[in-house]
Amino acid sequence: MAVHEDQDASDLELVRRIKRGDEQGFREMVDRYNARVYSLAYGVLRNSEDAEEATQDAFLTLYRKIDTFDESKKFFSWFYRVALNAAYSRARRRKPGVTVSLDDYLPRFGDDGHAASPEFAAFIEGAEDEAIARDLAERAEQFIAELPETYRDAIWMVDVEEMKPADVAEVLEISLAALKSRLHRARLYVRQRLQEVSVAAAPAPETRVAP
Amino acid sequence: MTHDAVTCKRLILEYLVEYEDGSMPEAERARFEAHLHHCPPCVVFLKSYQATGRTLRMLKPRDIPKNLADAVVGFVRARCPKKE
Repeated sequence: MAVHEDQDASDLELVRRIKRGDEQGFREMVDRYNARVYSLAYGVLRNSEDAEEATQDAFLTLYRKIDTFDESKKFFSWFYRVALNAAYSRARRRKPGVTVSLDDYLPRFGDDGHAASPEFAAFIEGAEDEAIARDLAERAEQFIAELPETYRDAIWMVDVEEMKPADVAEVLEISLAALKSRLHRARLYVRQRLQEVSVAAAPAPETRVAP
Repeated sequence: MTHDAVTCKRLILEYLVEYEDGSMPEAERARFEAHLHHCPPCVVFLKSYQATGRTLRMLKPRDIPKNLADAVVGFVRARCPKKE
């Protein structure tokens, strides 16, 4: 908590310096946030060139609109919203991707509410092997990209960026309960897809070929 | 506590996220774990949910382009006159 408060106070000091026209203050803000903004933009755009341009757009907006920032609020949540908007603004210029219906990928249960069928363990074992886990991570990135925006932001910020759920809820301007609900649905989707590709990739049981 | 006190469906759809982030109240956690104790499919599900989290964390850190900060400052300077 103290770290958080220190960060807020230090951000605010930089904000005030930028408002006063202190160029060095802007440079320090860029040094502090450029990697985080880039990573956030990458989560939306999944392309390094686009993410770099969105990062530039976000800092340009920061520079131009810093006077509108309400100092009673947390700077990072304001600026992360600016960064997300910059990324989505670029994303909208591209051909829209395919998004999925999450309900199609929920686990199945019997009428009594218990598991309808035993789960395969292929995915869990795969995730423990370094090379397979890397491959699964690449697939997971694709699966995240298929999610509707609101779910994608939640899972990217919490599970990839490892931001605190409460902070993410603040950035997205939703309740913590709503954030957790989106996060969970997104995780269930990615889990299900990873499970499917792992089962498909698992070696088939030995079969005899008839002569 | 019986196996039926919590169904797999409720455990997975309603409780799992709070169990994982540690915000579940102690009494509910005990019910949750009692169910897990008797339900191998839910244990496997929980492990795969946790493996999903581990897999996603591998996506970070990303390679940040070299000189990104310089590029950003140059980009903004080219478009904005210095503030007075």
